[in-house]
Amino acid sequence: MTSRTAAAWEAGPNLPATHRVSGLVYSDQTIFEEEKQHLFGKTWQLACHESEIPEVFDFRTFEVAGQPLVVSRGANGTIRTFVNACSHRGAKIVNDPSGNAKRFTCFYHHWSYDTEGACIDIPREDGYAPTGLKKEDCGLREVRTESKLGLVFVNLDDDAESLESYFGDALKPFEPVMGTGELEVFHFNRSILESNWKSWIETNLDIYHEVMHVTLRKTQVSAGAMKDRNFDLHKNGHAGIGGVKAKYGGYKGWGERDVASTLPGLDPNDLRVFEIFPNSTIIARGTVIRIDTIMPISPGRAVLECRGLGLKGDSDADRMMRIEHHNAYWGPFGRNVPEDAFAAEMCGVSFRTGAAKHQNIARDEDGHGQDDGILRNFYEEWSRRMGRPASNPVNRSEAS
Amino acid sequence: MSLKWNAVAQTVYQTCLRLDQEDFDGYLELFAPEFHYWITAYSPEIRKEMIWLSHDRDGLAALLENVPDHVRRLGSLHRHATVYTVEPGENGTVRVTSSIQVTHTDPDGSSRLFAVGHYHDVLVDTADGPRLTERNAKLETRELGIGSHLPI
Repeated sequence: MTSRTAAAWEAGPNLPATHRVSGLVYSDQTIFEEEKQHLFGKTWQLACHESEIPEVFDFRTFEVAGQPLVVSRGANGTIRTFVNACSHRGAKIVNDPSGNAKRFTCFYHHWSYDTEGACIDIPREDGYAPTGLKKEDCGLREVRTESKLGLVFVNLDDDAESLESYFGDALKPFEPVMGTGELEVFHFNRSILESNWKSWIETNLDIYHEVMHVTLRKTQVSAGAMKDRNFDLHKNGHAGIGGVKAKYGGYKGWGERDVASTLPGLDPNDLRVFEIFPNSTIIARGTVIRIDTIMPISPGRAVLECRGLGLKGDSDADRMMRIEHHNAYWGPFGRNVPEDAFAAEMCGVSFRTGAAKHQNIARDEDGHGQDDGILRNFYEEWSRRMGRPASNPVNRSEAS
Repeated sequence: MSLKWNAVAQTVYQTCLRLDQEDFDGYLELFAPEFHYWITAYSPEIRKEMIWLSHDRDGLAALLENVPDHVRRLGSLHRHATVYTVEPGENGTVRVTSSIQVTHTDPDGSSRLFAVGHYHDVLVDTADGPRLTERNAKLETRELGIGSHLPI
């Protein structure tokens, strides 16, 4: 008999704990709340790219695990981030996704704040004199903000290690690509996925799923040697994939990308991936970069933000080339992103309903090819930060 | 302006019907050889106009030919267009603006709005009737769930 009984299905595959993941990490409400606290509340989270706030007083609003934030470039160019809530009644202050403002004024009672977060105006302030409340006590809650390679990160934990320490030297392979020429975001798309956020991350890290995408079957699987692919695993759960090549002419209607305007440090056919633990991924393909961030809404729902980046100062022809190369795979009408999103949602169905109890991350190709080591690295860090093994997050054997 | 409203509207509506039916050959017949197709949207987040799809006629034909090989969203899309304006363009063409709503129906028969926006079309008169030389499907909707392998 090759099918399995209910008990065998529940027990899961006979694999080391490091090589399997419990379905509960995708569906359990308690685990979800702890993820918000231990992962999203304590790790560096991508806010935006510096090119999204190029001018003094430019701002962008965004969210980290449901918490509204606003990032702004101050008068001296310093980038700061604040919780986007008025210190008076708590109303959300800034409602536009982006803009330019010397001060943030709450619509409700017109309390105003400068770009350093200080409360600078309270209408009829003398009404607070009897209670002693002063503007100096009413500043915005500032959130730690640091930048690397043009990426602006925030951390809700005031005591978190520095961004430099968080990455260590993990991003070194991307320094020529993202740190040589000034980059600029030309594409932004936000979409809701009916899936746990980790199912999306898995589509980025699971290179074995090349088999799902006809584009990758035609352009990538045979373009370079599997043994030349390598996975760089780093502390704090970060990881990179390198050594992957593509021959774009393999997919009908696409041409080869023998273009001069590649990004610094890349050949036209290079593919590099970098996972910023826990929820952002940089993907560089010769001529263009995608950065995506998945943010949880609930155990079974998440919001995906995707950015496309080219070089600032691109000629019109080069920018159009990068847009077309970006859109070939990515964006809401790309050939691959809708497939990845579909895969994440189909996993979402199974884990939300309890139909699936486990998944395995057991491929071992000695760190090459389509190895699952990068997924194991992710769940090792997830388990460390959560204080629960991803293979058995509620310790079922003891509970029963 | 030799092109009549009804003939122009018929061509616009046929693009919707044939794409809904995934009659890709019939869809492409409605385009002149010099046709170009775009899907665009404005991002208030990055304050930029964005191009989400851009193809000439051959590129669009190749894209559509490859569609059956892809893992696709289940269900179907239904496009509803209303022609709002037909105005004279250059060299005997007409510029046509239509409102467009696209609904997605899943395999269980549940329908939800997928996208709204406008078609900004340019049509030319031919012996076979009005044919499109340009279509810019400009979307107001930017949150598109898992997206689509098909044009709008």
